[in-house]
Amino acid sequence: MNSLDVLTLFLFNIVIYNIPLLYGTVGEIIIEKSGSLNLGVEGIMAVGAIFGYLIGCSANSLTVGILASFICAGLFGIIFAVLTVTMQANQNVTGLTMTTFGVGLFFFIGKGLSASWPVMTQYENINNGFKNPIEIPLLSKIPVLGKALFSHNILVYLGIFIAIAVWFYLNKTKAGLRLRAIGENPAAADSLGINITLYKYVHIVLGSGIMGIGGFYMGLNLGGSFEGSNCWINGYGWIAVALVIFANWNTLAAILGTLVFGFFNTLQIYSGSLAYAFPKALGFLDKIPSQLYQALPFMITALVLVFSSVRKNNKSAQPASLGLNYYREER
Amino acid sequence: MAAYAIELKNINKSFGSVAANKNINLSVRQGEILALLGENGSGKTTLMNMLSGIYKPDSGQIFVNGQEVSINSPEDAKKLGIGMVHQHFKLVDIFSAADNIWLGKERDGSSAKAKLSEVFLQKERFSEIEKTAEQFGFQIDARKLVKNMSVSEKQTLEIIKVLYYGAKTIILDEPTAVLTVQEIEKLFHILREMKAQGHSIIIISHKLNEVMEISDRVAILRKGEYIDTVNTAETNTLELTELMMGKKADLNIRRTKVEKKQPLLEIRDLTIKNDEGAVAIDHVNFYVRGGEMLGVAGIAGCGQKELCEAMAGLRKIESGMIIHEGESIVGLSPQKILEKGVAMSFIPEDRLGMGLAPSLSITDNMILKKYNQNHWNPFVDRKSARKEAQEVIDELEVVTPSTEIPVRRLSGGNVQKILLGREIKSNPNVLITAYPVRGLDINSSYTIYNILDDLKQKGVGVLFVGEDLDVLMSLCDKIMVLCHGKVMGVVHASKTSKEELGLMMTGAVNLSVVNGKVAGIAKDSAIKEEDVQ
Amino acid sequence: MSKQREPLVRVVKRDRIHPLLKVAFYLLAILFALTVGGVLLFAIGVNPLVLYKDMFTIGMLGSRFAYKSVEGLLTIFVPLLITSLALSLSFKMRFWNIGGEGQFIIGALAAATVALKFGNSMPPFPLLVLMFLASMLCAGLYGGVVALLNVRFRTNETLLTLMLNYIALYLLRFFGETQAPWNFYLSDESVRPVFQKFPEAAFMPTISIGKFSLNISFIFAVLICVGAYFYLKKTKQGYEISVVGDSANTARYAGMHVPKIIVRTMFLSAALIGLAGGFYVSGAKVLSTSVTNNVGWTGIIVAWLAKLNTFAIFGVALLISIMQYGAQAASTQFPIIDSNFADLLQGIILFFVLAADFFIRFKLVFRKNAKKQGGAAE
Repeated sequence: MNSLDVLTLFLFNIVIYNIPLLYGTVGEIIIEKSGSLNLGVEGIMAVGAIFGYLIGCSANSLTVGILASFICAGLFGIIFAVLTVTMQANQNVTGLTMTTFGVGLFFFIGKGLSASWPVMTQYENINNGFKNPIEIPLLSKIPVLGKALFSHNILVYLGIFIAIAVWFYLNKTKAGLRLRAIGENPAAADSLGINITLYKYVHIVLGSGIMGIGGFYMGLNLGGSFEGSNCWINGYGWIAVALVIFANWNTLAAILGTLVFGFFNTLQIYSGSLAYAFPKALGFLDKIPSQLYQALPFMITALVLVFSSVRKNNKSAQPASLGLNYYREER
Repeated sequence: MAAYAIELKNINKSFGSVAANKNINLSVRQGEILALLGENGSGKTTLMNMLSGIYKPDSGQIFVNGQEVSINSPEDAKKLGIGMVHQHFKLVDIFSAADNIWLGKERDGSSAKAKLSEVFLQKERFSEIEKTAEQFGFQIDARKLVKNMSVSEKQTLEIIKVLYYGAKTIILDEPTAVLTVQEIEKLFHILREMKAQGHSIIIISHKLNEVMEISDRVAILRKGEYIDTVNTAETNTLELTELMMGKKADLNIRRTKVEKKQPLLEIRDLTIKNDEGAVAIDHVNFYVRGGEMLGVAGIAGCGQKELCEAMAGLRKIESGMIIHEGESIVGLSPQKILEKGVAMSFIPEDRLGMGLAPSLSITDNMILKKYNQNHWNPFVDRKSARKEAQEVIDELEVVTPSTEIPVRRLSGGNVQKILLGREIKSNPNVLITAYPVRGLDINSSYTIYNILDDLKQKGVGVLFVGEDLDVLMSLCDKIMVLCHGKVMGVVHASKTSKEELGLMMTGAVNLSVVNGKVAGIAKDSAIKEEDVQ
Repeated sequence: MSKQREPLVRVVKRDRIHPLLKVAFYLLAILFALTVGGVLLFAIGVNPLVLYKDMFTIGMLGSRFAYKSVEGLLTIFVPLLITSLALSLSFKMRFWNIGGEGQFIIGALAAATVALKFGNSMPPFPLLVLMFLASMLCAGLYGGVVALLNVRFRTNETLLTLMLNYIALYLLRFFGETQAPWNFYLSDESVRPVFQKFPEAAFMPTISIGKFSLNISFIFAVLICVGAYFYLKKTKQGYEISVVGDSANTARYAGMHVPKIIVRTMFLSAALIGLAGGFYVSGAKVLSTSVTNNVGWTGIIVAWLAKLNTFAIFGVALLISIMQYGAQAASTQFPIIDSNFADLLQGIILFFVLAADFFIRFKLVFRKNAKKQGGAAE
């Protein structure tokens, strides 16, 4: 393998292994924009992953898998909506429980099926649909970058499409305007006759569904093999929560953030081969502990949190009523 | 068209055990400005929130244009043509003026254009909002963000919002509270224009001069009850004061004559700002002697709260002096001030907001201020607190199953007794008490009056901030009247009249300067500037 | 104009609720949760009654090694109890410390550092004291700094403690996976990176009762539980926590120094979690990258299920530990069940308890009812 191939492979893997983060982040941004802090991303992704995979396999269709992961994770999100919106339960606790429950359910179903667990390679449509890249004409012919960025499976493109579409939805449509108003000042939105409960429900379900697709994607990345001890999501749900802050609640910035976080994530695996391929320029990469790469997303986010609060900057797009439940007759 | 735009019949609303509105009847004619007059806590805002769909009445009927309706949400109110400008603006800070209005716009018509604009945010919304505003006679910058607006601009935006949604009946909750004189003029001009266009307007206020100026009729609420509706042209401030405050009652309150003592607490040239940064107390001078009860009268919200907080060390002052027994207490911690013997109890409108931890027991609330008196002892002394709690319960006849009940579970009056009882138990030499009988029944009120009088006999200086003028006149020795943070004068309680006080409260009469000299008795203390550290 | 439709049901805040009704709601919630869990079990072909029996008896029935089961249960129970108690301190103040995982790791790491550095040169007692002091101090600072940032700059504590969990985790992994001459955490004998076993002086002492050996960290945990009760109920600091948690405004009115109280309490909360980490590694005799066993997360669920009541935390922590250990024990008979089933069940229980909270705080007024009230007033 020549050194440029290493670079291409590195860039390719940044994209393919980290776009699931984008799904999680975009989903969480939608939910947080409605004023709800949902710490259940990890669990919702796990639920979307396992149901998407199982249903997708039984139908032997990637599309069915995507739809199933979206629908099942969305339905799971309803639990969060019922408890926090209708029943006014604490959002932190409910979200954490979503994670505990979701991951628990993942293992429960996985173990329950252990003997009859579907093997991905036996389901051609899914296997090939996921593994055979769709090359974008012209762009994919660019040296180094073409193969790395414009020759991917449908889920990569879908993720980026969703991020852009959600940005457009939030900023350029009236429903998006209303959603943001609810996250900022629910009493103001309420006084204009906007149905807050409906909006929150719809967007919690929508956001959860998008997270679910990301979970499904992660399962496919791992070849759909169920191991008793490791959940497919492997902490990506939590990175997504961090990424929301890093991206300042902007889904376009989230694409960039995903690549930045993904860069460090992937560097951890490729630091050796990169250092070997470019000994002069990147030789130092080998010396940096891989755990630092993994911790960096969290460190950066922690610093972003601290600095934005120290500088009291008004540029933070954190919804003003994030984490607070709304009860109209509150005095 | 029906004669009345809005009619309310037998409206009741309670929050927990507190009845905010009791059997209220109110009617608003087409195309009139109705002032809803009453003191803070008389239930005006609650009543209007039921019209705007924020609260749901417990019982009663609402008629809009003669039709009985049920208003379950702000959306229903909007559909019925009722719009409310809330005292705390309901605006999204980070949105532009146009977007704040655009939010609630529903699709008009079924043209392709209307459908498109229902889905997407288009630039035309800015010009449309500006155009509509112009039609109503407003000039606004539709792109300006709310967070960059002045208070007056925000209020204008709220009014445009209400008009934009075709409100025929417009409710304004204390619209002048945050405005300057010029801005108030402008607002009144707008209201008259709106009336001319056929809108019915309800304006909530407790400022008599404004009510006289702007309204056609005045409806008066007192303590959650409907009193009367009068034609503005046929009434005067005196009558309105009487309606608002109640007829002069012959109260048989004990007032003991106590020998004059040295001033214990003296306030010189004190200026304080409120939370919004506006001047709340404006160069105020007065003093309280030992064995004297000084009443403070004034329309709610004219600086009483800030004054009390400053004296208790809870609020920073801008300038001036607070002198206690010859020593400045400015800058001391609330705890130090309490240890010096200055106790303060303030009963806020919601009763629980200040000074009580609602989920904690009576005992735990008794020790709130002095739990740390013995610094060396790491434990809370609940034994003596429980004893004290029991004493307060016995002496003030608090109705409670035990001392360990969370305060939240007590009825309003009992909560207040606990709050006042705690301050008395701290053996103060100066007691500042604000609205101690707010919402209490007659018997409990008398219990509290007698307690205060007892304290006075013991030589305690009492500052009594009250709302009922009859009580102030029968209980206190002197009465200081505040209006918009300024002292309008200090009068002897036995020599003044309700009319005089009412006129001072509304700023119509100023007795602080008579014949070019500073009148009154606020400067005769024996304390010299030099004595104050 | 037509009469507006009245909604079928309205949500109204309850004034108060009878304590028995409250208990009934919670019991009902747990019953529902177990039923739902049972249905799930049934669906994968496991007899729920048999499994529940095995689970809640942690496999002691008819076992010759029942004492082993109790020992195993306690290794789960002790860290969970201490962590939940510690979290309840900050939650009582409405301070969202969800950084239990990170603080536990820092505590464990600090104790391990002392144990491996000084373990061969110090006698057991001072060594253990030093280990646990280090645990508390390091973890306390790790959490305290968040509180400091929060009171000074209003930094969001929920999100910051969340980030710190992962930073701590990767720090631990760094020590656990990096083979280098300086890395004294790893064993010299193994080719693969493996944590070094502690020297004997750093082992948590045990008391033998017949065959059963009681790790004295259990005794400390019980003492901490009683201590936490007294701290919250009897001391001024505990009193301050409850006032700040109930109404920060009232606390200021009473002259309390609210920022100081928040920082102090958070330090204590984090320090106790660190201590739990120290106890755990000292009992396990070796560090591990999965040292927390999710105790920082589970602790939140325990504290919330127990409504932050100290003794209820003891009970709930025991129940959850039994579920977790019992699920493991049951896996001998049902291979498809493992401790993840316990997580699942915990989740379901908490969902139902949160729902029960709603019915305790609010009541539903149905349309007909509302009409009747209206009629009565007229």
